[in-house]
Amino acid sequence: MRRRIVVTGVGPITSVGIGREACWAGLLAGRCGTGPVQSFDTGRHGANRGGEISDFAPPADLAGFGRASQFAVLASRLALEDARLDRDAIDPQRAAVVLGTTSGEPQFIEQFNDAEVASPPGNTGSELAFSYPCHLMATRVAADAGGWAFSLTIPTACAAGNYAIGHALDLLRSNRADIALAGGADAFSRITYTGFARLGAIAPERCQPFDRERKGMVPGEGANMIVLEPLDAALARGARIYAEVAGYGLSCDAYHMTGGHPEGLGAARAMEAALRDSRMTPGDISYISAHGTGTPTNDRVETAAVKRVFADRAYAIPVSSVKSMIGHTMGAASAIEAAVCALAVADDRIPPTCHLENPDPECDLDYVPNHARELRVTTAMNNAYAFGGNNASVIFRKVEP
Amino acid sequence: MAGKAVITGAGIVSSLGDAPAAVHRALCEGRRGIRAFADGAALAAGVGAAADVAYDLQPHFAARNVRPLDRTARLATAAAGLALSDSGLPMPSFPRDDVGLVLGTMFGSVRTIADFDRRAITAGPQYVSPLDFANTVINAAAGQVAIWYGLRGVNSTIAGGHAGAYAIAHAADLVELGAASALLAGGAEELCAAAAAAFSRAGVLCDGNGDATPRPVPFGSQRHGFVLGEGAGFVVVEHADSAAQRRAQVRAHILGHATVCSGRAGRATADGEEIARAISLALDAAGVTPEEVDCISASANGSVDGDTAEARGLLGALGARASTVPVTAIKGMLGECLAASGSLQVICMLESMRDGVLPGVPDFQPADDGATLAGLSARPRQVDPRRGLVVAAWNGTCTAVVLRAADRS
Repeated sequence: MRRRIVVTGVGPITSVGIGREACWAGLLAGRCGTGPVQSFDTGRHGANRGGEISDFAPPADLAGFGRASQFAVLASRLALEDARLDRDAIDPQRAAVVLGTTSGEPQFIEQFNDAEVASPPGNTGSELAFSYPCHLMATRVAADAGGWAFSLTIPTACAAGNYAIGHALDLLRSNRADIALAGGADAFSRITYTGFARLGAIAPERCQPFDRERKGMVPGEGANMIVLEPLDAALARGARIYAEVAGYGLSCDAYHMTGGHPEGLGAARAMEAALRDSRMTPGDISYISAHGTGTPTNDRVETAAVKRVFADRAYAIPVSSVKSMIGHTMGAASAIEAAVCALAVADDRIPPTCHLENPDPECDLDYVPNHARELRVTTAMNNAYAFGGNNASVIFRKVEP
Repeated sequence: MAGKAVITGAGIVSSLGDAPAAVHRALCEGRRGIRAFADGAALAAGVGAAADVAYDLQPHFAARNVRPLDRTARLATAAAGLALSDSGLPMPSFPRDDVGLVLGTMFGSVRTIADFDRRAITAGPQYVSPLDFANTVINAAAGQVAIWYGLRGVNSTIAGGHAGAYAIAHAADLVELGAASALLAGGAEELCAAAAAAFSRAGVLCDGNGDATPRPVPFGSQRHGFVLGEGAGFVVVEHADSAAQRRAQVRAHILGHATVCSGRAGRATADGEEIARAISLALDAAGVTPEEVDCISASANGSVDGDTAEARGLLGALGARASTVPVTAIKGMLGECLAASGSLQVICMLESMRDGVLPGVPDFQPADDGATLAGLSARPRQVDPRRGLVVAAWNGTCTAVVLRAADRS
């Protein structure tokens, strides 16, 4: 009998709200957190929309960290508070941090380049060796949480949040740890923005997943960490349980670095692996949080992959993408969407896909257009796909009292 | 469940060559892969030498187009292919949904990311290459290797200086959990001038005065820093049952492992506490006592404080056995290859298990810091390594892996 693992805290940091209550209210209300990019000049990018978190004020004690680490540490503090954990009761030797990210702290590379091309060249120091490497992000979270003795960063791009949650699930199931913070963080980055702009993938105005007129994604930033602990421990301390993490699945397209497999075979294999690991069948899933970036290709292929796995039942499952509101937060995206799934399961409400106005014959599922929905959500599947063909699906399940 | 993962193949690309047996022989002869490193940016920061991979990798790629692969991905792809061949996995049957990859890297490629950004801020964002953007993600090498060989199973990337060893440990867990039939696992790290310059400015390299012939001595009395290297190492990890089913050669069993961090935001403890804990937990998981450890591959690279902490960690975890067990540290010869190091250590341990010789630490003289490991020697030694311990530590994180040699048939 393997240990059952549950979510007892979330700490989302998003452009529609920081912390569980603000973020969840913003997403259910269909608020849009994207707008013109403020943090650098986009005059030559051919795009200017982004999902920056303009009201993020880093706590003073985190001033020396890069922005992504600030997000990650703050998200962890919020999650631990939300879980109402007595930190002194946690054995740091049995506590783990697993963090996903796409870019780590790219600002150190950007600063390095800015210094090198300046006239005269500016000074560069040892930051690339001892501040930049992304494994440090997880170690900072672990130190802040109370000297936790396991920390790991998984840089699997835009599926990294789900990878981190799956990895933490394995650590807890196999009794390597008794509590974990797992999730993802990414800061708005000139490098990332430039790349997506060059691919022609950024929407001119807004992100419209699954809409016939969709024109692309909107790069964003953010973080979420979730608190994971065994069900028996959570029950014993009278914790509020949002959902059980029933299982996860990973796969690789092994097809193309930036474009998914045209028939979504890899995405389908990750969903099937997650169902197997959760000991569920397609008939058990009541909600899907889509990768749903808003690019013409992703949304078409993802729809096909869902149909491949769920067959006719696909039409009966609500599918939504919060990227329509907060943009694509890279390695944080599936971590934030994990909070969405856990809260949907706890709350029996699902956030909408915003800006969905024109039905697309190739995207013909129920995408929960524009308005949140009340619905009994027994289980939720969280899908994430990444550069490198990395696919990850995680399934959440209601814990009946 | 634990202890059911086996290693069925190994592939290496390093400054001392690209065949495990040849690299091991070079290590036992005390040869160093270190040579002058004449990159302008690194040179300006005082870096004089590095253990780079100086030979042409093209023969590993046959006639296929390697242009989409950056250097990290090329190192990884070459080593991964060698490991697959060595394991006898039937190549024509690829692509396969049940074979995947776990890759450890610290940097991915700083060079790729920085060059991409540099072009955007000098020529303009409209002039960057989409191909280069694909490689700016830190999991790019893992994605490229998967495409190259048709690995459709689990594909993950682990970050950090210990990550090559962690990748192998994690792969063992994954095959035991049934998440894959076989996994390539290891690490890849390229030598990057910008990163090398940053290490030099931090004062941790022993060639900080532009010395082109530094001789780093792990655990040695005169040590004053390390030399950076580059390379990639992969092993094929399978469940013992599936390996037996396909009659694969078993090189070693992964008996147990553990990873422990200092909890100090990337800083090691001075007394190697996290290293000692990782070793003790790994031995417990493996069901092996300190007395049963036949030899050790340590992580020491010539760092003044880091090596002392590791020696203390080994002394703390192994007690009396620490004063007798043979220890080697290969980074004085292969350089500090960051995330690749742990996998290179594992592969060299496999070779020691095969031919019964543990490399020495060239120029080693015992340090007088109260943390001396009696099992260190400047010369290679005959050993009978039934059970080998590999320690991979970096920045306050340590992965320890316990291997058992395959039964000789």
